[in-house]
Amino acid sequence: MALQPSGVFFENYSHDKALIKTKYQWLSLAIFGIFLLLVPFLFGPRIIAVANIMIIMAVVAVGLQITTGYAGQINLGQAAFMGVGAYTAGLVATQFSLPFWISIPLGGVAAAAFGYIFGLSAVRIKGFYLALTTIAAQFIFHFAILNLPTSWFGGSNGLTLEPASLFGFEFKTDSSFYYLALIICTVMVIGAFGIVRSRYGRAFVAVRDDDVASSMMGINVVATKASAFLVGAFFAGIGGGLWAYYVRFVSVDQFTLFNSVWFVAMIIVGGSGSIVGALIGVFLIRLINELVTSIGPVVSEAFPFIGGDIVFAAMNIILGGVICLFVIYEPKGLMYRWNIMKTSYRIWPFPH
Amino acid sequence: MLLKVNNVEVIYNDVILVLKGVNMTMEEGSCIALLGANGAGKTTTLAAISGIIKSEDGKVTSGSIEFDGQRVDNQSVESNVARGLIHVMEGRKVLQHMTVEKNLIVGGHVLKSGAEVKQRIENVYTLIPRLAELRKRTAGYLSGGEQQMLVIGRALMANPRLILIDEPSLGLAPLMVEEVFKILKELRKSGISLFIVEQNTQAALEVADYGYVMENGRIVMDGEADQLMKNEDVREFYLGLNMEGERKSYRDVKHYKRRKRWLG
Repeated sequence: MALQPSGVFFENYSHDKALIKTKYQWLSLAIFGIFLLLVPFLFGPRIIAVANIMIIMAVVAVGLQITTGYAGQINLGQAAFMGVGAYTAGLVATQFSLPFWISIPLGGVAAAAFGYIFGLSAVRIKGFYLALTTIAAQFIFHFAILNLPTSWFGGSNGLTLEPASLFGFEFKTDSSFYYLALIICTVMVIGAFGIVRSRYGRAFVAVRDDDVASSMMGINVVATKASAFLVGAFFAGIGGGLWAYYVRFVSVDQFTLFNSVWFVAMIIVGGSGSIVGALIGVFLIRLINELVTSIGPVVSEAFPFIGGDIVFAAMNIILGGVICLFVIYEPKGLMYRWNIMKTSYRIWPFPH
Repeated sequence: MLLKVNNVEVIYNDVILVLKGVNMTMEEGSCIALLGANGAGKTTTLAAISGIIKSEDGKVTSGSIEFDGQRVDNQSVESNVARGLIHVMEGRKVLQHMTVEKNLIVGGHVLKSGAEVKQRIENVYTLIPRLAELRKRTAGYLSGGEQQMLVIGRALMANPRLILIDEPSLGLAPLMVEEVFKILKELRKSGISLFIVEQNTQAALEVADYGYVMENGRIVMDGEADQLMKNEDVREFYLGLNMEGERKSYRDVKHYKRRKRWLG
């Protein structure tokens, strides 16, 4: 799958290693970037709100991609890690009135510490058992928040935040927050590319493919697995911090096991083992989600005899069905199919 | 003395005794072959030396293994790799989703600088030119022989002093086996010590200068490689040759009198 377009040759290592290899790739990236910058001008407030959620989810899903897609450690507690980030950011922002550019990274650090503890369990267990342990993270998070004194995390009332502000400018509106989130997300995605292309990223993939063999190459498997959780949870924490500032209200119900499963669904649909895949997965799943929730009322209005309840239930079934279809027919994700299409285009007119 | 295995006993899961007092020694720059039937404990011996025995719930319960004067039994695999003790496992464990070159880069995980990694990759390519041709190919799609070359090349990346190779000829066509053993001979010339575990006794004894034969968790026979080749027991049981040096026919098997005396 490493086929380059015809006529592209590399004359030195740095060109060979470059992420973006051709002029057209630069061009399409630039067009995509400009499009992202113009989103608040092109679309209405509803779309911008959806875009904001997508960007926040993207940060979290990219983190999960590193833990699960690259390092192969199944993680069903990503929403809990996100919640830890959101609560930490919310707490330091309300109690100590720290600015967002300190509280969001603090949220990331707290989530990373929380994730690291669960990552240590990955040292001894794999697969299903590990998945169960990460579900425990979800419940520990839930119990801890609800049962700790209300003065700490607000208990079941949650936390309410002031909007993020920088030099007196408040990111109050959806479109202003969009740019803040976009910048942070871009930084995180670039960081993710950096991580997966570094020696640590290669160690992640080596451990995913064969942990015994990778220990034979001098990779410390224990540390690698735990740090995969650390990195993934850090991304989740940053996403959680963003979420706290966007919604300006943090409560445990926003970070349930259900959300964690959605994150896993996103990287499955996008394609595991690919950062771009995670982004595509987020976009697609959120898009389907939004379509379903906006079509629902229309359908129940147009056909009142069906009844609203049935329509809404059916919508959830459709959403679940989409995931099932993906797992059955495209288990390697869209990025895999895309790479095959790219290759077959490049070797055209030959079939293989 | 590069490697000294002293009366080693290995127990799996606290109940299964596999090695019952194994002794062997090895000089720097030499090559030894460990031979024996299935289940004799050859792979366990290798795993005990390299340390991966831990991941299989095994433990060295008595005796000692010294590498270059330091105790390495029950040490972590990573620390042994850092000492230059590399294990090439049986079954060609390539990282299948990575390209050949990426596999080599990961093999150099213990190296400190990128320049060193590049230089060692060039080294590997000159030693095994086939890998240079395949450098952009995905490792999982290579043929068995090519994968075997890749794992040997990957072991070379970590600056090894002793490479433990488990069954390099497993499942390979005779021509490929020749190719792989040619590479092993090259390695010997470059001064790396080799410890080969093989079923293909003939090929292994041709490369090695000393051989050990294992049976039921014990060393039952050892000697210079050419002496072992001439030994009648070895010829009978491991080379499949009878006294006249001809391959046995089924009729001969029926009249076959020789038995493994060491089994008592």
